[in-house]
Amino acid sequence: MDPARKLLLFEQTVIPHMNAAYNLARWLTRSSQTADDLVQESFLKAFRSFDTFQGNDSNDGRGWLLTIVRNTCFTWLKKKGNQPTSEFDEQLHGSADDQNPESILLKEDAMGSLNQCLEGLPFAFREAIVLRELEELSYREISDIARVPVGTVMSRLARARKRLQECLAGAAR
Amino acid sequence: MNCETGRILTETNDSGLADHIMSCPSCFIGTRACYYQAPAGLEDKIRQRLRRETAAPAYSHWLAIAASVLLIVSVTGNVALLRSRVAPQHSVASDVLSAHLRSLAGTHLLDVPSSDQHTVKPWFNGKLDFSPPVKFLDGFPLLGGRIEYFDGRPAAALIYGRNKHVINVFTWPAAPVAETAIARNGFNMLNWSNSGMTFWAISDLNESELREFVSLYR
Repeated sequence: MDPARKLLLFEQTVIPHMNAAYNLARWLTRSSQTADDLVQESFLKAFRSFDTFQGNDSNDGRGWLLTIVRNTCFTWLKKKGNQPTSEFDEQLHGSADDQNPESILLKEDAMGSLNQCLEGLPFAFREAIVLRELEELSYREISDIARVPVGTVMSRLARARKRLQECLAGAAR
Repeated sequence: MNCETGRILTETNDSGLADHIMSCPSCFIGTRACYYQAPAGLEDKIRQRLRRETAAPAYSHWLAIAASVLLIVSVTGNVALLRSRVAPQHSVASDVLSAHLRSLAGTHLLDVPSSDQHTVKPWFNGKLDFSPPVKFLDGFPLLGGRIEYFDGRPAAALIYGRNKHVINVFTWPAAPVAETAIARNGFNMLNWSNSGMTFWAISDLNESELREFVSLYR
Protein backbone atom coordinates (compact mmCIF):
# COMPACT_ATOMS: atom_id res chain seq x y z
CA MET A 1 0.00 0.00 0.00
CA ASP A 2 1.31 3.42 -0.88
CA PRO A 3 2.44 5.11 2.36
CA ALA A 4 0.38 8.28 1.96
CA ARG A 5 -2.80 6.29 1.33
CA LYS A 6 -1.99 3.98 4.22
CA LEU A 7 -1.57 6.90 6.61
CA LEU A 8 -4.82 8.46 5.42
CA LEU A 9 -6.79 5.23 5.87
CA PHE A 10 -5.20 4.70 9.24
CA GLU A 11 -6.19 8.18 10.34
CA GLN A 12 -9.76 7.53 9.29
CA THR A 13 -10.26 4.08 10.75
CA VAL A 14 -7.90 3.72 13.72
CA ILE A 15 -6.81 7.08 15.14
CA PRO A 16 -10.39 8.05 16.15
CA HIS A 17 -10.31 5.28 18.76
CA MET A 18 -7.50 6.74 20.80
CA ASN A 19 -9.74 7.28 23.83
CA ALA A 20 -11.06 3.73 23.68
CA ALA A 21 -7.50 2.46 23.41
CA TYR A 22 -6.33 4.58 26.31
CA ASN A 23 -9.31 3.71 28.50
CA LEU A 24 -8.77 -0.01 27.96
CA ALA A 25 -5.01 0.23 28.53
CA ARG A 26 -5.54 2.35 31.64
CA TRP A 27 -7.98 -0.15 33.11
CA LEU A 28 -5.89 -3.18 32.21
CA THR A 29 -2.56 -1.81 33.47
CA ARG A 30 -3.98 0.36 36.29
CA SER A 31 -1.34 2.97 35.52
CA SER A 32 -1.73 6.15 33.48
CA GLN A 33 1.96 6.29 32.55
CA THR A 34 2.04 2.68 31.41
CA ALA A 35 -1.20 3.16 29.52
CA ASP A 36 0.31 6.19 27.75
CA ASP A 37 3.38 4.16 26.71
CA LEU A 38 1.48 1.04 25.72
CA VAL A 39 -1.09 2.96 23.67
CA GLN A 40 1.73 4.54 21.67
CA GLU A 41 3.28 1.14 21.20
CA SER A 42 -0.07 -0.31 20.17
CA PHE A 43 -0.65 2.40 17.56
CA LEU A 44 2.78 1.75 16.08
CA LYS A 45 2.11 -1.97 15.98
CA ALA A 46 -1.29 -1.31 14.44
CA PHE A 47 0.25 0.93 11.80
CA ARG A 48 2.96 -1.57 10.94
CA SER A 49 0.45 -4.37 10.51
CA PHE A 50 -2.22 -2.16 8.97
CA ASP A 51 -1.82 -4.01 5.67
CA THR A 52 -3.38 -7.03 7.35
CA PHE A 53 -6.40 -5.03 8.52
CA GLN A 54 -9.42 -6.56 6.79
CA GLY A 55 -12.08 -4.14 7.95
CA ASN A 56 -13.73 -1.42 5.94
CA ASP A 57 -14.85 1.15 8.41
CA SER A 58 -14.08 2.91 11.63
CA ASN A 59 -16.13 0.41 13.65
CA ASP A 60 -13.95 -2.47 12.45
CA GLY A 61 -10.95 -0.30 13.23
CA ARG A 62 -11.96 -0.02 16.87
CA GLY A 63 -12.19 -3.76 17.49
CA TRP A 64 -8.95 -4.32 15.62
CA LEU A 65 -7.12 -1.63 17.57
CA LEU A 66 -8.51 -2.78 20.92
CA THR A 67 -7.31 -6.32 20.19
CA ILE A 68 -3.80 -4.98 19.70
CA VAL A 69 -4.04 -2.82 22.83
CA ARG A 70 -5.35 -5.74 24.85
CA ASN A 71 -2.55 -8.04 23.69
CA THR A 72 0.10 -5.39 24.23
CA CYS A 73 -1.11 -4.86 27.80
CA PHE A 74 -1.40 -8.59 28.41
CA THR A 75 2.17 -9.17 27.23
CA TRP A 76 3.46 -6.24 29.26
CA LEU A 77 1.79 -7.48 32.43
CA LYS A 78 3.10 -10.99 31.92
CA LYS A 79 6.62 -9.72 31.31
CA LYS A 80 6.42 -7.56 34.38
CA GLY A 81 5.46 -10.61 36.40
CA ASN A 82 2.05 -9.18 37.19
CA GLN A 83 -0.16 -12.15 36.65
CA PRO A 84 -2.93 -10.70 34.49
CA THR A 85 -5.18 -13.30 36.08
CA SER A 86 -4.43 -12.30 39.68
CA GLU A 87 -7.38 -13.31 41.78
CA PHE A 88 -9.90 -11.01 43.27
CA ASP A 89 -9.71 -10.99 47.04
CA GLU A 90 -13.20 -11.77 48.24
CA GLN A 91 -12.22 -11.85 51.87
CA LEU A 92 -11.00 -8.29 51.75
CA HIS A 93 -14.03 -6.95 49.96
CA GLY A 94 -16.59 -8.94 51.92
CA SER A 95 -20.01 -9.87 50.62
CA ALA A 96 -23.12 -7.92 49.70
CA ASP A 97 -25.55 -10.04 51.66
CA ASP A 98 -26.71 -7.49 54.14
CA GLN A 99 -26.56 -4.47 51.90
CA ASN A 100 -29.35 -2.55 50.30
CA PRO A 101 -28.18 -1.69 46.79
CA GLU A 102 -29.89 1.65 46.91
CA SER A 103 -27.91 2.75 49.90
CA ILE A 104 -24.74 1.83 48.09
CA LEU A 105 -25.74 3.94 45.18
CA LEU A 106 -26.62 6.91 47.31
CA LYS A 107 -23.27 7.01 48.98
CA GLU A 108 -21.21 9.91 47.74
CA ASP A 109 -18.13 7.80 47.20
CA ALA A 110 -19.98 5.14 45.23
CA MET A 111 -18.19 6.13 42.08
CA GLY A 112 -14.78 6.00 43.74
CA SER A 113 -15.64 2.64 45.24
CA LEU A 114 -16.85 1.31 41.94
CA ASN A 115 -13.61 2.29 40.30
CA GLN A 116 -11.60 0.70 43.08
CA CYS A 117 -13.67 -2.43 42.90
CA LEU A 118 -13.29 -2.59 39.15
CA GLU A 119 -9.53 -2.18 39.48
CA GLY A 120 -9.54 -5.04 41.96
CA LEU A 121 -11.15 -7.46 39.52
CA PRO A 122 -9.01 -10.11 37.85
CA PHE A 123 -7.72 -9.21 34.40
CA ALA A 124 -10.24 -11.34 32.51
CA PHE A 125 -13.19 -9.87 34.40
CA ARG A 126 -11.91 -6.31 34.16
CA GLU A 127 -11.35 -6.68 30.47
CA ALA A 128 -14.87 -8.02 29.93
CA ILE A 129 -16.48 -5.25 32.01
CA VAL A 130 -14.54 -2.43 30.35
CA LEU A 131 -15.23 -3.67 26.84
CA ARG A 132 -18.90 -4.35 27.55
CA GLU A 133 -19.97 -1.58 29.89
CA LEU A 134 -17.64 1.22 28.89
CA GLU A 135 -17.02 0.48 25.22
CA GLU A 136 -20.39 -1.20 24.72
CA LEU A 137 -18.95 -3.83 22.45
CA SER A 138 -21.02 -6.89 21.52
CA TYR A 139 -20.34 -10.28 23.08
CA ARG A 140 -19.03 -11.38 19.71
CA GLU A 141 -16.54 -8.49 19.55
CA ILE A 142 -15.38 -9.12 23.10
CA SER A 143 -14.94 -12.82 22.36
CA ASP A 144 -12.73 -11.91 19.39
CA ILE A 145 -10.60 -9.53 21.45
CA ALA A 146 -10.24 -11.76 24.52
CA ARG A 147 -9.94 -14.89 22.37
CA VAL A 148 -12.52 -16.86 24.32
CA PRO A 149 -15.92 -18.23 23.24
CA VAL A 150 -18.97 -15.98 23.48
CA GLY A 151 -20.35 -18.19 26.27
CA THR A 152 -17.23 -17.53 28.31
CA VAL A 153 -17.61 -13.80 27.77
CA MET A 154 -21.18 -13.94 29.06
CA SER A 155 -20.31 -15.96 32.15
CA ARG A 156 -17.33 -13.73 32.88
CA LEU A 157 -19.54 -10.66 32.66
CA ALA A 158 -22.12 -12.17 34.99
CA ARG A 159 -19.51 -13.16 37.53
CA ALA A 160 -17.74 -9.82 37.23
CA ARG A 161 -20.93 -7.87 37.86
CA LYS A 162 -21.71 -10.03 40.87
CA ARG A 163 -18.23 -9.46 42.26
CA LEU A 164 -18.55 -5.75 41.73
CA GLN A 165 -21.81 -5.68 43.61
CA GLU A 166 -20.26 -7.62 46.43
CA CYS A 167 -17.25 -5.36 46.46
CA LEU A 168 -19.40 -2.25 46.52
CA ALA A 169 -21.43 -3.65 49.38
CA GLY A 170 -18.21 -4.31 51.25
CA ALA A 171 -16.95 -0.83 50.57
CA ALA A 172 -20.19 0.77 51.69
CA ARG A 173 -20.27 -1.17 54.90
CA MET B 1 -34.91 1.77 29.18
CA ASN B 2 -31.56 0.92 27.76
CA CYS B 3 -28.09 1.93 28.85
CA GLU B 4 -27.91 4.75 26.39
CA THR B 5 -30.93 6.49 27.89
CA GLY B 6 -29.64 5.61 31.33
CA ARG B 7 -26.44 7.43 30.55
CA ILE B 8 -28.28 10.51 29.32
CA LEU B 9 -30.56 10.48 32.34
CA THR B 10 -27.59 10.23 34.66
CA GLU B 11 -26.00 13.19 32.98
CA THR B 12 -29.19 15.23 33.45
CA ASN B 13 -29.41 14.18 37.11
CA ASP B 14 -32.78 12.53 36.75
CA SER B 15 -33.79 11.33 40.16
CA GLY B 16 -36.05 8.60 38.79
CA LEU B 17 -33.06 6.81 37.45
CA ALA B 18 -32.16 4.82 40.54
CA ASP B 19 -34.76 2.13 39.91
CA HIS B 20 -33.49 1.39 36.48
CA ILE B 21 -29.89 1.39 37.48
CA MET B 22 -30.57 -0.98 40.33
CA SER B 23 -32.29 -3.38 38.00
CA CYS B 24 -29.43 -3.04 35.56
CA PRO B 25 -25.93 -3.44 37.04
CA SER B 26 -24.62 -3.03 33.55
CA CYS B 27 -26.04 0.49 33.39
CA PHE B 28 -24.73 1.22 36.83
CA ILE B 29 -21.21 0.30 35.85
CA GLY B 30 -21.49 1.97 32.47
CA THR B 31 -22.63 5.23 33.93
CA ARG B 32 -20.55 5.27 37.10
CA ALA B 33 -17.22 3.70 36.19
CA CYS B 34 -14.53 6.05 35.08
CA TYR B 35 -13.99 6.36 31.38
CA TYR B 36 -10.36 7.43 31.13
CA GLN B 37 -9.83 10.02 28.41
CA ALA B 38 -6.53 9.94 26.58
CA PRO B 39 -4.19 12.64 27.95
CA ALA B 40 -3.91 15.78 25.87
CA GLY B 41 -0.44 15.11 24.45
CA LEU B 42 -1.00 11.48 23.50
CA GLU B 43 -2.41 12.06 20.04
CA ASP B 44 0.52 14.32 19.14
CA LYS B 45 3.00 11.75 20.37
CA ILE B 46 1.33 9.05 18.30
CA ARG B 47 1.15 11.21 15.18
CA GLN B 48 4.82 12.10 15.58
CA ARG B 49 5.82 8.48 15.84
CA LEU B 50 3.67 7.59 12.84
CA ARG B 51 5.32 10.35 10.84
CA ARG B 52 8.72 9.01 11.80
CA GLU B 53 7.49 5.55 10.94
CA THR B 54 6.37 6.63 7.47
CA ALA B 55 9.50 8.72 6.95
CA ALA B 56 11.83 5.95 8.08
CA PRO B 57 10.94 3.39 5.41
CA ALA B 58 11.28 6.06 2.73
CA TYR B 59 14.72 6.90 4.07
CA SER B 60 15.79 3.28 4.27
CA HIS B 61 14.22 2.81 0.85
CA TRP B 62 16.57 5.41 -0.61
CA LEU B 63 19.38 3.99 1.43
CA ALA B 64 18.61 0.61 -0.07
CA ILE B 65 18.61 2.09 -3.56
CA ALA B 66 21.88 3.85 -2.88
CA ALA B 67 23.35 0.63 -1.49
CA SER B 68 22.13 -1.28 -4.54
CA VAL B 69 23.65 1.27 -6.86
CA LEU B 70 26.92 1.09 -4.98
CA LEU B 71 26.80 -2.67 -5.09
CA ILE B 72 26.06 -2.72 -8.81
CA VAL B 73 28.80 -0.19 -9.50
CA SER B 74 31.18 -2.17 -7.35
CA VAL B 75 30.22 -5.49 -8.91
CA THR B 76 30.32 -4.03 -12.40
CA GLY B 77 33.66 -2.48 -11.59
CA ASN B 78 34.99 -5.73 -10.25
CA VAL B 79 33.61 -7.69 -13.15
CA ALA B 80 35.07 -5.14 -15.54
CA LEU B 81 38.37 -5.42 -13.70
CA LEU B 82 38.12 -9.18 -13.76
CA ARG B 83 37.14 -9.15 -17.41
CA SER B 84 39.92 -6.78 -18.27
CA ARG B 85 42.34 -9.00 -16.39
CA VAL B 86 41.36 -12.07 -18.28
CA ALA B 87 40.01 -10.20 -21.29
CA PRO B 88 41.13 -11.57 -24.63
CA GLN B 89 42.10 -7.98 -25.35
CA HIS B 90 45.07 -8.31 -23.05
CA SER B 91 46.34 -11.52 -24.51
CA VAL B 92 45.78 -10.07 -27.98
CA ALA B 93 47.64 -6.96 -26.84
CA SER B 94 50.79 -9.08 -26.43
CA ASP B 95 50.40 -10.31 -29.97
CA VAL B 96 49.77 -6.77 -31.17
CA LEU B 97 52.87 -5.56 -29.41
CA SER B 98 54.94 -8.41 -30.83
CA ALA B 99 53.64 -7.71 -34.33
CA HIS B 100 54.41 -4.03 -33.93
CA LEU B 101 57.95 -4.77 -32.66
CA ARG B 102 58.59 -7.24 -35.48
CA SER B 103 57.45 -4.70 -38.01
CA LEU B 104 59.91 -2.16 -36.63
CA ALA B 105 62.86 -4.51 -36.14
CA GLY B 106 62.73 -6.31 -39.43
CA THR B 107 62.56 -5.17 -42.92
CA HIS B 108 58.97 -6.32 -43.20
CA LEU B 109 57.12 -3.16 -42.36
CA LEU B 110 55.29 -2.75 -45.59
CA ASP B 111 53.94 -5.20 -48.15
CA VAL B 112 52.44 -2.36 -50.11
CA PRO B 113 54.36 0.87 -49.65
CA SER B 114 51.95 3.57 -50.69
CA SER B 115 50.57 6.77 -49.35
CA ASP B 116 47.59 6.39 -51.62
CA GLN B 117 44.61 4.84 -49.88
CA HIS B 118 43.24 3.85 -53.30
CA THR B 119 46.31 1.76 -53.83
CA VAL B 120 46.46 0.24 -50.38
CA LYS B 121 42.81 -0.70 -50.02
CA PRO B 122 42.52 -2.72 -53.24
CA TRP B 123 45.79 -4.43 -52.40
CA PHE B 124 44.04 -6.28 -49.57
CA ASN B 125 41.42 -7.66 -51.99
CA GLY B 126 41.95 -11.34 -52.49
CA LYS B 127 44.25 -11.52 -49.48
CA LEU B 128 41.57 -11.01 -46.85
CA ASP B 129 37.93 -12.02 -46.49
CA PHE B 130 37.10 -8.53 -45.33
CA SER B 131 37.86 -5.05 -46.48
CA PRO B 132 39.66 -2.83 -43.96
CA PRO B 133 38.90 0.89 -43.96
CA VAL B 134 41.89 2.74 -45.32
CA LYS B 135 41.73 6.47 -44.73
CA PHE B 136 43.69 9.55 -45.58
CA LEU B 137 44.42 11.33 -42.34
CA ASP B 138 45.67 14.87 -41.98
CA GLY B 139 48.94 14.93 -40.01
CA PHE B 140 49.28 11.16 -40.06
CA PRO B 141 50.55 10.18 -43.52
CA LEU B 142 49.65 6.72 -44.72
CA LEU B 143 52.84 4.71 -45.29
CA GLY B 144 51.35 1.50 -46.61
CA GLY B 145 49.89 -1.87 -45.63
CA ARG B 146 50.73 -5.50 -45.07
CA ILE B 147 49.18 -8.73 -43.83
CA GLU B 148 49.56 -9.88 -40.25
CA TYR B 149 48.25 -12.92 -38.47
CA PHE B 150 46.44 -12.84 -35.17
CA ASP B 151 45.12 -15.92 -33.49
CA GLY B 152 45.69 -17.93 -36.62
CA ARG B 153 43.77 -15.69 -38.97
CA PRO B 154 44.88 -12.98 -41.33
CA ALA B 155 44.50 -9.36 -40.35
CA ALA B 156 45.07 -6.11 -42.16
CA ALA B 157 47.93 -3.91 -40.97
CA LEU B 158 47.86 -0.27 -41.98
CA ILE B 159 50.92 1.78 -41.29
CA TYR B 160 50.74 5.48 -40.62
CA GLY B 161 53.51 7.87 -39.72
CA ARG B 162 53.76 10.79 -37.38
CA ASN B 163 57.11 12.57 -37.69
CA LYS B 164 59.57 9.73 -37.03
CA HIS B 165 56.97 7.58 -35.23
CA VAL B 166 55.27 4.58 -36.74
CA ILE B 167 51.68 3.68 -36.05
CA ASN B 168 50.40 0.21 -36.83
CA VAL B 169 46.66 -0.25 -37.17
CA PHE B 170 45.61 -3.90 -37.08
CA THR B 171 42.11 -4.90 -37.93
CA TRP B 172 40.16 -8.12 -38.36
CA PRO B 173 36.59 -9.29 -37.94
CA ALA B 174 35.82 -9.99 -34.30
CA ALA B 175 33.15 -9.67 -31.68
CA PRO B 176 32.69 -6.14 -30.34
CA VAL B 177 34.83 -5.12 -27.39
CA ALA B 178 34.76 -2.16 -25.06
CA GLU B 179 37.21 0.55 -26.02
CA THR B 180 40.42 -0.10 -24.12
CA ALA B 181 43.69 1.72 -23.76
CA ILE B 182 46.71 -0.36 -22.82
CA ALA B 183 50.23 0.84 -22.21
CA ARG B 184 53.00 -1.75 -22.36
CA ASN B 185 56.77 -1.54 -22.68
CA GLY B 186 56.55 2.15 -23.53
CA PHE B 187 54.07 1.55 -26.31
CA ASN B 188 50.52 2.77 -26.27
CA MET B 189 47.69 0.69 -27.65
CA LEU B 190 44.09 1.53 -28.27
CA ASN B 191 41.54 -1.13 -29.02
CA TRP B 192 38.02 -0.47 -30.30
CA SER B 193 35.33 -2.09 -32.40
CA ASN B 194 33.40 -0.95 -35.40
CA SER B 195 31.16 -2.69 -37.92
CA GLY B 196 31.99 -6.17 -36.68
CA MET B 197 35.72 -5.59 -36.76
CA THR B 198 38.22 -5.05 -34.02
CA PHE B 199 40.89 -2.36 -34.39
CA TRP B 200 44.21 -2.04 -32.66
CA ALA B 201 46.32 1.07 -32.98
CA ILE B 202 49.80 0.81 -31.50
CA SER B 203 52.69 3.24 -31.47
CA ASP B 204 55.43 4.73 -29.36
CA LEU B 205 53.49 8.00 -29.70
CA ASN B 206 52.20 9.42 -26.45
CA GLU B 207 48.66 8.44 -25.60
CA SER B 208 47.05 11.78 -26.42
CA GLU B 209 48.57 11.83 -29.91
CA LEU B 210 47.56 8.23 -30.44
CA ARG B 211 44.04 9.12 -29.34
CA GLU B 212 44.07 12.03 -31.76
CA PHE B 213 45.08 9.65 -34.49
CA VAL B 214 42.37 7.15 -33.55
CA SER B 215 39.66 9.79 -33.42
CA LEU B 216 40.66 10.87 -36.93
CA TYR B 217 40.82 7.31 -38.15
CA ARG B 218 37.41 6.37 -36.73
